[in-house]
Amino acid sequence: MNIVWTSVVVVCLVAMAFSNPSGALTVCVQSMSQGISVAVELCAVYCLWMGVFAVAEKCLLVEKLASVCGGVLKWLFGSISPKAKGYIALNVASNLLGVGNASTPSAQSAIKEMEHGSKLSRAGAMLFVINATSIQLVPTTVVGLRASCGSANPADIVLPTLLCTLATTVLGVAFVFLGYGVAK
Amino acid sequence: MSMIVPCLVALLLAFALFKKVDVYGSFVGGAKNAVGTAVGVLPYLSAMFLMVNLLRASGIGGYVVDFLAFPLSFLGIPKQLVELMLLRPFSGSGSLAILKDVYLQHGVDTYVGRCASVIMGSSETVFYVSAVYFAGTKIKHTGWAIPIALFCNLVGGVLACWLCKVL
Repeated sequence: MNIVWTSVVVVCLVAMAFSNPSGALTVCVQSMSQGISVAVELCAVYCLWMGVFAVAEKCLLVEKLASVCGGVLKWLFGSISPKAKGYIALNVASNLLGVGNASTPSAQSAIKEMEHGSKLSRAGAMLFVINATSIQLVPTTVVGLRASCGSANPADIVLPTLLCTLATTVLGVAFVFLGYGVAK
Repeated sequence: MSMIVPCLVALLLAFALFKKVDVYGSFVGGAKNAVGTAVGVLPYLSAMFLMVNLLRASGIGGYVVDFLAFPLSFLGIPKQLVELMLLRPFSGSGSLAILKDVYLQHGVDTYVGRCASVIMGSSETVFYVSAVYFAGTKIKHTGWAIPIALFCNLVGGVLACWLCKVL
């Protein structure tokens, strides 16, 4: 990441110094403020969902959810702490419900709970791959945008999208098994 | 569908009150952690946006798109969608803007428009997710995680273009 990021930025800056020197700094500052505005948006979403999840945790619902899907979680992630199991169950549930933004804080909590070294563990890699291959049941954002752009049938992409995301998630999980072996 | 989430949250809060949980206190306590999490993510997001925006503004991103359009066309991916596929791993809002461009330029219900929809709906912002997840941890080496995720998203793109032909 260090080398890729630095070389891309250096090459682009040099190119812009020749083509559009006055615009270069503007782009840099705009990127920073874009980072801040996205972080503020995230903060709002986190506030809501971390609050709601804290309530769910207090009435032991998270533990119940985790024990219901305990078998699958054990097969996918191996032996992890009950707390991490709860966060992962929440993460997958919010992904499936299409509350994509709610899945982020629970995944972060799970990662914090499971990862202690500088090297990502098998369970962490599994959680990341499952999230990074997108496991949404209904792509609400895309269907909404299609409708607003005047599509005759905005929802006709739901089936191919579902097949596609299922296939990539299964492939991703298979690759984690291939790369890291069976969960201990 | 859109009723489910509000109903679930309302049910949860009512259930918690019934169980004599301090609902208000727990909610505030949970929400308090959000600020620190968001602040931890901020520098990573800024660095990533800097790289992506510089690529687009300097015009180098355009060359990369042209360069990759040829090999990707062998996989069945139309060249109008290469930019979408390249930006998708980095930025959700950026790729959504490109998706809208594709709709306006090529039509929503055309083959290209439908492919773009499926690609958008079935892929994920890999680098963005990794920046957000691993910010605030000690993790330096992510091993196979990111390559696996990127490869799966590429396969997803190829599969999306094929599925739109068949279905």
